[in-house]
Amino acid sequence: MINGLNLKDTRSIIFPVIILVFIGTLMVYSSTAIMAMRKYESGFHYLWKHLFTVCVGIAAMLILSRIDFQKIRPFVYVLLGCSLFMLLLVFVPGIGIEANGAKRWLRLWPTTFQPSEFAKLVMVIFLADYMDKNIHRMKELKYGILIPVGVMLVFQIIIIKQPDFGAVMSMGILTVCLLILGGARLRYAGLLVLMTLPAIYLVIFSSLYRMKRIMCFSDPWKEPFGCGFQLVQSFIAFGSGRFFGVGLGESRQKLYFLPEVHTDFIFSIIGEELGLIGVFTVVSVFVWLFIKGIKLASEAEDPFIYFLTIGLTLMIGVQAIINFAVSTGLMPTKGLPLPFISYGGSALLINMAAAGILLNIAQRNNSGGAEMDSTFHGLSLRNSYVRRMR
Amino acid sequence: MMRRKNTGNTEMRKLWDEDPVKIPLQKSKKRGLVLVTIVFFCFAVILFRLVDLMVVDHEKLSERAAQQYMREKTLTPQRGVIWDRKMKEMAANIETESLYAMPSKVEDTRSLTRDIAPLIKVSSKRLNRTLLKKKNKDFIWLERKMDLDNVRKINVLKEKNNYKAIGFLSESKRFYPKNKIASHLIGFTNIDNKGISGLELQYDTYLRGEISNFSVGTDARGNRLFNEVREPVSGNNLLLTIDERIQYIVERELADAMKTWKAEAAVAIMMNPATGEILAMANRPNYDPNSAGRSKVSERRNRALTDLFEPGSTLKTVLAAAALEEGIVRLNDEYDVSKGYIVVGGKRIRDLHKNDILTFQEVVQRSSNVGAVQIGMELGGKKYYEYIRKFGFGEKSGIDFPGEIKGILRNPRDWSGTSLAALSIGQEIGVTPLQILRAYAAIANGGKLMKPYIVSDIISPAGQIIKSVAPEVVRQVVSEKTAEKVTDILKTVVEEGGTATKAYIQGNLVAGKTGTAQIFDNQKKRYSRERHISSFVGFVPADDPRLALIVVIYEPKGGSYGGVVAAPVFKNIIEHTFAYMNVPMERDENQIILVSRSR
Repeated sequence: MINGLNLKDTRSIIFPVIILVFIGTLMVYSSTAIMAMRKYESGFHYLWKHLFTVCVGIAAMLILSRIDFQKIRPFVYVLLGCSLFMLLLVFVPGIGIEANGAKRWLRLWPTTFQPSEFAKLVMVIFLADYMDKNIHRMKELKYGILIPVGVMLVFQIIIIKQPDFGAVMSMGILTVCLLILGGARLRYAGLLVLMTLPAIYLVIFSSLYRMKRIMCFSDPWKEPFGCGFQLVQSFIAFGSGRFFGVGLGESRQKLYFLPEVHTDFIFSIIGEELGLIGVFTVVSVFVWLFIKGIKLASEAEDPFIYFLTIGLTLMIGVQAIINFAVSTGLMPTKGLPLPFISYGGSALLINMAAAGILLNIAQRNNSGGAEMDSTFHGLSLRNSYVRRMR
Repeated sequence: MMRRKNTGNTEMRKLWDEDPVKIPLQKSKKRGLVLVTIVFFCFAVILFRLVDLMVVDHEKLSERAAQQYMREKTLTPQRGVIWDRKMKEMAANIETESLYAMPSKVEDTRSLTRDIAPLIKVSSKRLNRTLLKKKNKDFIWLERKMDLDNVRKINVLKEKNNYKAIGFLSESKRFYPKNKIASHLIGFTNIDNKGISGLELQYDTYLRGEISNFSVGTDARGNRLFNEVREPVSGNNLLLTIDERIQYIVERELADAMKTWKAEAAVAIMMNPATGEILAMANRPNYDPNSAGRSKVSERRNRALTDLFEPGSTLKTVLAAAALEEGIVRLNDEYDVSKGYIVVGGKRIRDLHKNDILTFQEVVQRSSNVGAVQIGMELGGKKYYEYIRKFGFGEKSGIDFPGEIKGILRNPRDWSGTSLAALSIGQEIGVTPLQILRAYAAIANGGKLMKPYIVSDIISPAGQIIKSVAPEVVRQVVSEKTAEKVTDILKTVVEEGGTATKAYIQGNLVAGKTGTAQIFDNQKKRYSRERHISSFVGFVPADDPRLALIVVIYEPKGGSYGGVVAAPVFKNIIEHTFAYMNVPMERDENQIILVSRSR
């Protein structure tokens, strides 16, 4: 139980996920219909692809909600290996797909897959397992910081080569948060953050392109048609929306003014079409989901389950916050989709898989309590996480 | 393990006692609380930011939005067509391509410049400089209305190198299918299809149509979103009094004469004397209005009504008409010109050919200066001046053409002692070829001076007549009777003994008059002996005039008399025109009347 937080007991975290996926599907269609019409002569092009991913995502969610996660624990390092292998496969010509100067995708008939998304999930599972195993040694520099950060750096260095800075950043934030939660000394963690600053500085100023991006972020209106274009267009989208929005489907910004409308900047179109009401709803649902995740974590008595729950919750929450912050100009532009909402198969799939794991945990927590969740009544008490492995 | 063990907390101790794992988990959950608070804080910041963007900045941002959604569009209309009287196109429009660049979107200025510059009329250095200087501009023209060949070449380059910053826009370009024919008359337009000279300038307000300016909602790629196009209104068409066939004949004959006489310039105007319609108006040297920019100003001048010259003997007809109208002479009055010169105000005026005694009629026929001066004296300066004015000299004819001059005609108050004598032989007066022709047309027209015109009808794109010009009588200059008498005199000019036997036309009687004017040399302050302006003006058939024609040859070499230089041109033009018009022969070679007609 997290002290002081009097969260209302909620039964399942499936509702916010369903709401977000629904809003996402609607907005993906709204923001892509005209674009798809012009490009593919069918307004449904992106919608069908998105719906396909949603179906796969739901399947993944349902499967994962029924698998005993303790049984997966021994395979954590296999997952880690798989993830690294996939990340490296991206660089193999023929299998890896290059788009807009970045090699982020794997060809996976009939669709594509982005290993960096999978890597985030694997990182969370790995850290949960690692911190549980080393829970008494987390204060030490070696176990609390060096080893887990080393693993993280291996992932990050590969991902930075793709390059996918959004994924690197969200993975970094996630890892540091989890290590602090895991009991790492704050001074070490603080030192770690301080040490990353020169690295970030180096990464930014090593490329004129990235430097410019940062400069533009600080004042997009200086070059509204140059590098500040995307941000200015995002602002215009929000500003047009006001309280109630211009109406569903009525966005003008999606007509090629705002780039990446259906992926990284879908939140701006929600703002434009549905207004303050729409964006507050979306933020609220994410807060709802976050609270439910935290509540779930607070109920966990097993450190692995606790770390896993809070890790997955943070993974979704941090990505949402970064996406919100980017589209409202609070953070420099990073290619990061909005969980459950943005078009983009891999992220949606991974986030739904994460939701599936959370559902599983929720179901087991509940079955450990007085009531059985009717949805998952087929699962027996035998698998519940009341027992500990230690 | 715990550093800050709260020994006072019995529950915690109990947990610790029970399970060592629970202690770090509890601690972690405490830390989690802080983290959750930070996350909530982030969410709160985002909500504030959203309110800031969507409510506080709403006005500013939505204004900006409106700005970028609306684009100003300008659609240019089709310029009106110019037809000759038989509806042949004298000026039309063709679609051409114009090359533009979007300097703000140019990525590699150097390579673009290298590829494009050779195909347009700009050096690569200058193009490079322009593109860099106008880097913040979204649109500049590189070259308007290009050759189709170069358009094709640039399109190939554009495709190959994926140049997104350049493109073509269709523009309507003025096209003159008859090239040099009637170029002075039609004029030309500038690159923006605005009339610059000639009828294109005179009737620009009718021809140009209405440009349509409107704003249209577009997406970021400039695609129109809703159909709110306001089509431009096409210009009105002009129907000319000019007959392109006749114009061609006139131009051809002028060209021949230019070659034969190595003249500096030549002008011919043909008019229907009964109405004032201009049937042809030609100038040499000429130019091609399809590439007007490459021509010289002197080549583009419509001398027919913008250039002054001293008419010389052709003005004697005005003198004769005035004397007859005033009744101070009769056709058979005799004048002694045997001395061959006459002294007026200490100045000697000579005849070109020596004669003894000439009748009034013969004075005109033989163009005797001495006789003319005597008639002038008889008539008196004031009266003569009146008639010169009445015949339309010293005033604009009112023709629908820009740049017409009114000529120079001094008031008798300002005359010197020799002025009357000079005017009697067509000096000390500046006239345009058109003024002379109009005066003769008035004789042909029973004394009625007409207002000349070139455009007979203005026709809307839908085919409706907007404005129709009716022949306009300016004034009755002399009585019909006088006109008849003058015509009879003028007929003799072409006959044996006259000065213009070379204007004799088989089958039709010509009434006309030669003019041979010396050019006043401004440097030497006297009339030049070598430089002349030779002219012949007349109308045919003399007793039922259908055509009035003036031919003016400037500075012919190897001949100077109007009867020698200009009269044959007159004859050729009339003969060919009559053949084209199927005008029946009135007389056979022996001048027996074949077609009788009442007058």
